[in-house]
Amino acid sequence: MNKEYILNSAKLLKKASNSACDEFSLKSDKLISEMNLEMLNRSDVENLVGKNNIDMMQDNHSNHIRFISSILKNYDEEVLVETILWVFRAYRSHGFSTNYWAVQLNTWMKILKIQLSEETFLEVQPLYEWMQINIPVFVAISDEKLEVPNN
Amino acid sequence: MVEIDKNLQERFLNELLRGNRFECSAIVRSLAKSNVPIKVIYEDLFKIALYEVGSLWEYNKISVATEHLASAIIESLLNENYLEIISSKRINKNVMLSCIEKEHHQIGIKMVDDIFQLNGWSTYFLGSNTPSSEVLSFAKTINLDLIAISLSIYSHFPDLLKFIEKFRLLFPETFILVGGQAFEHGGQKKLLEYYNVIYLQDLNSTETFIKKLNNYE
Repeated sequence: MNKEYILNSAKLLKKASNSACDEFSLKSDKLISEMNLEMLNRSDVENLVGKNNIDMMQDNHSNHIRFISSILKNYDEEVLVETILWVFRAYRSHGFSTNYWAVQLNTWMKILKIQLSEETFLEVQPLYEWMQINIPVFVAISDEKLEVPNN
Repeated sequence: MVEIDKNLQERFLNELLRGNRFECSAIVRSLAKSNVPIKVIYEDLFKIALYEVGSLWEYNKISVATEHLASAIIESLLNENYLEIISSKRINKNVMLSCIEKEHHQIGIKMVDDIFQLNGWSTYFLGSNTPSSEVLSFAKTINLDLIAISLSIYSHFPDLLKFIEKFRLLFPETFILVGGQAFEHGGQKKLLEYYNVIYLQDLNSTETFIKKLNNYE
């Protein structure tokens, strides 16, 4: 599985409706604070993100919601894939473990289900499921450029 | 076409990472003395170095502090060359340049500003993180021929589109140039939906566009 595979699979995802985009964007601050709370309460957070990386993790959560809000509104599969690959490379290089992505996406799903209306959740769910399913592919592709791939 | 060789690009990058502004400045001055055009210095020296600095941070080879130091040196070099940049041949045209609200990376749009000045335009450079409402208010105070907007982070794309819509209500015909690193992997297709909005990917295409406008007059 390579970048072409992931780009083709991303082409099947759809732009969200205006109302879903607006709700997601309107609730972004709440989503970020819930996410930070959940992650900071984990006893294994340092194992997931590496030493002294808590601020970077919280930055990632803010950037994640802003980026997803933007991509839901103006869907572009190449921007989506390249940005995720950049995030994987940059954060792994700075000591984040590959397990962090699974934990992060599972936690987002849990929070989104609680905070968003059912209609909006159903519209964003495919994108999050696509990211979850493809974590191993993003890890494998980002491995190619990392000098010392971590776990 | 004039090109800057790889060895010099590497030397410039190394001096930049060491924080050696004096040497960086000497390299730029020697290129200018050899009649290397400003546009080539910007594209082949500054831009390449800045992209490499970004990549070195991405792979945790340099700190945020070093990244900021490198950006600050390049910004100072842009200001250092102002006298060579300003064209003696002025034309009666005005451009306003700004980053979109919340964006802090202004080096790219500053280079675009210089290319307009080299081609005789009067420029109004508002820089980084200027609130959209302020940009619009200021635009009403000058006789604007064109606005250039920079977007570095794709997350701010909805803010850019909102800005374009508001600007268009006030200035129905004025050209809007858009560029920046946010479009490195796409996203520019959406801009085609807007009237008189033009995406330009680098300084070469920007200068070609400016020259066409200058000749058209």
